[in-house]
Amino acid sequence: MNGPGELTLTSIVLFTLGAYGIAAGAASGEQSVVAVGVFAFALFLIGIIWPIVALSRVDVDAWTPTDATVGERYDVHVRLGGRASRVEVRLLDPPGDWWRTASPATGEIQRIATRRGVVRSLRVELRTSAPLGVFVRTRAVRVDLRFELVVAPSPVAAGARSDPAARRTRERPNEGPVAVSTVASRGGGDTVRAVRPYVSGDAARLVHWPTSARLGTLVIREHEPPPAIGIALVVDLNGPPDDVEHAASRAAGIGRATLAAGGAVWCCTSEPSGPVSARVVDARDLGRRLARAGAGEPGTPPADWPVEVVRA
Amino acid sequence: MTSQAIRPGMPDRGWWDRTAGDDPKPARSTEARRELIAPGSPWRAVAVPTAVALGAVGAIAASRAHLPLFLGAVAGAAAALLGVFALPSLPTRRVVVVLLGLGGLGALRHASYTGDDTSALLVVWALSTLVALLLVDRAVTEHVPTLVPGAPLERRGREIARMAVAIAVIAAVTVVAFGPTITDRLGRHVWPGLAPSLGGFIGAPSSLRANNRLDMTQRPRLSDRVVFTVDAPRASFWRGQTYDRWNGHDWTQSDQGSVRLAPNRGPIALTPDPDDTGAFRGRPMRQTFRLESGFSDVVFAAPSPVQIETDKVIESHADGTATVYGGFGRGATYTVTSRSLPVTAALLRAADRAAVPESVLSRFARPAPTTDEVNALAQRITASAPTTYDRIRAIEAWLGAHVKYSLNAPLSPANVDVVDYFLFHSRVGWCEQVASSLVVMARSVGIPARLATGFVPGHRDALSGQFVVRERDAHAWAEIYFPGVGWQPFDPTASVPLAGDAPSGGSWLDVARHHAVELGAIAAVIVLLVVGFPEVQSFFRRRRARRRAAWSTRTMARLERIGRRAGRARRPFETPREYANVLAAYLHDERIAEVGETLDADGFSDAGASPSARASADSVLSSL
Repeated sequence: MNGPGELTLTSIVLFTLGAYGIAAGAASGEQSVVAVGVFAFALFLIGIIWPIVALSRVDVDAWTPTDATVGERYDVHVRLGGRASRVEVRLLDPPGDWWRTASPATGEIQRIATRRGVVRSLRVELRTSAPLGVFVRTRAVRVDLRFELVVAPSPVAAGARSDPAARRTRERPNEGPVAVSTVASRGGGDTVRAVRPYVSGDAARLVHWPTSARLGTLVIREHEPPPAIGIALVVDLNGPPDDVEHAASRAAGIGRATLAAGGAVWCCTSEPSGPVSARVVDARDLGRRLARAGAGEPGTPPADWPVEVVRA
Repeated sequence: MTSQAIRPGMPDRGWWDRTAGDDPKPARSTEARRELIAPGSPWRAVAVPTAVALGAVGAIAASRAHLPLFLGAVAGAAAALLGVFALPSLPTRRVVVVLLGLGGLGALRHASYTGDDTSALLVVWALSTLVALLLVDRAVTEHVPTLVPGAPLERRGREIARMAVAIAVIAAVTVVAFGPTITDRLGRHVWPGLAPSLGGFIGAPSSLRANNRLDMTQRPRLSDRVVFTVDAPRASFWRGQTYDRWNGHDWTQSDQGSVRLAPNRGPIALTPDPDDTGAFRGRPMRQTFRLESGFSDVVFAAPSPVQIETDKVIESHADGTATVYGGFGRGATYTVTSRSLPVTAALLRAADRAAVPESVLSRFARPAPTTDEVNALAQRITASAPTTYDRIRAIEAWLGAHVKYSLNAPLSPANVDVVDYFLFHSRVGWCEQVASSLVVMARSVGIPARLATGFVPGHRDALSGQFVVRERDAHAWAEIYFPGVGWQPFDPTASVPLAGDAPSGGSWLDVARHHAVELGAIAAVIVLLVVGFPEVQSFFRRRRARRRAAWSTRTMARLERIGRRAGRARRPFETPREYANVLAAYLHDERIAEVGETLDADGFSDAGASPSARASADSVLSSL
């Protein structure tokens, strides 16, 4: 379908009528037959030339949101310029459904992200057979996106790494034993940090009775927040493609779970620019880091962070 | 999808793999049919021109079969409607295209030589086929989901009308430009056709069979059946044979001998009558005959044939006519070149100054056996006419005033002079009696005359320009000899112009070809208007909108236009001020940044930009 187009049954019928009419009419000298043949042949030629000219006048622009996740939907905004009475448009790689419109027009095409990575261009295919349906002209156009689309891996469900009590060795599927270092946590959510005057709505269990008695007014305890759980994810994506994607998904799952639990994630990956070791601020940042991650030596995790190595 | 790897394309459904009226394909044909005939279904619209196209072809076919046109039209339309609506399990698009293809084959098969003028029906077929194809493609597109929000398709009727006009004009110009040229360049002027059969021989009318005797007591068979077609630049009598001997009942030919001529990789030169001046000095006219009847051994040609292109053995007779040895079969095509002098009444009147050759006088000017009453009548009618031409015209005028034409005229009794009986008793007859009377009376006053038989020009097909000759066009007329001119046909039965007096009209194609430049220019204008109508409409709409727009809108549009021309179009996310700043840096002109500030002030401040700021911005943009 990526060729210049295809002829239809109508073209075969018209060509046959045209050729037969011209040949038979010329042989017999019957001008009426020649006229019918030339008419059919004219329709055949018009039916081929018209869609070629019409589609050549149409240009395409496209843009997407900046982030997407494998397996989830996202919208591709397509803008067609140039005038054409009927155009059908679809996205390629992989080919999606056709959508019809007149041109110029702007529209949204939903699609599901299928692969992790960074998309800087899209292939859009246009086709039209207007007006006669003789020739289906198709044209594939590569459109540079205004903003790159970062497709994060689909996270595999995983628990947060919240057991920093001791240094020990973890075993992950498909990987050898790795040393996991933890930092000692301080506070557990029950350490009183300060007291303050009672305000309406405070729970009675938080009243600090000794101080309240001493001051003669209700005083409420304020606790230290729960300790931040830190984890350094070392994502090593050297391996077969399927295992690489699975490893990226596992890393996304661990990272997201950790972030959701209030922990911090330090991500060590290998990107096209080289090894990268940096803290991620949120799930989107994590997805972007993992989307860019590829084969190579991952960055070095910081000291004193518990390390979780995810290897393909 | 990703930058790292592109997954190979999934297998795509082919354009023609989808069903059309039922996309996605309904499980049951009843559902499909319901969908087809549902109000608003595009296939209902498709069915109408399809039925019209096949109806037109059916009417043409009925005309050829000598059936009522209405019957063929109804049959064709019914077949189309059945095909579209009764076969819901098949893709409707394919059904329609196949039906239109069959209609096209029918149009080719019956394009000419039918009953009446079928050119109008062919035009109806062509237009309805075009509209049906447009609607089919539109219907297919309408089954594709709509891009949201997208842009709505043009209304179906409007789009089809616009496209139909444009394509019809282009196709018509193509047909006019190339149709006749193809026929001229590629057309075969010689074709053997089918071998003559016994059935064809028996079924052929007597007018197609060479005979040295013309029986005046037999009523001719005159049907609407097409006997041959002629591709010729102008109308003429298609002469077959001549007769010079009259015995009161029959015409016969003197045995003057004939020459048998075999084809030899080129035109066969015939032996013209040495006294026929026009055959030597006349203007040539090429005619191509195609036999539609099953048999003919007469070589029909405009007088006087001098050359023939055929693959048959020809017998060239001394009177300037020819016959074919063994006869032609159906489809046989031969081309004849004839020569005749363009004549006028003045030229024929002046011809009397020269002497008629003795050989002509002795053979054609001696009074034929007839009654004294006929001779006396001829003398009386021509007494006051000064020239041969005037005497012939006088006889013609008398015949026109005193006799009537009827194919139901009573046959002459046996042993009675046919001309005498016709002129003085029945006064009703057909061409043979009328022409015989002219020849006999002309000879009575010493004018060389003979009887010729053949066909009148026939009906000229408006589209093809060919003369379609039928059995009922069989005719007999008189040929009068004029010194210096040769044999000149006179038709006392009907008012037929003399050759050269009035050139006959051409076909639509010929007329159109002669005005090709004008028609081409008109067509180009029509196509541009029709195709470019939306462009023109949107241009004026934009222009109107620009005039109504506020100063800030106009100025922003100007700024964007300047940026586009400079190669830095505005991006959708850029505010006017941002864009102006970018352009200022891009074009190294800080004044543009001020324009951006003015635009912002005009758009967002309560008072808007001051008139002086606006004027300043306008002058900046004008200077760019």
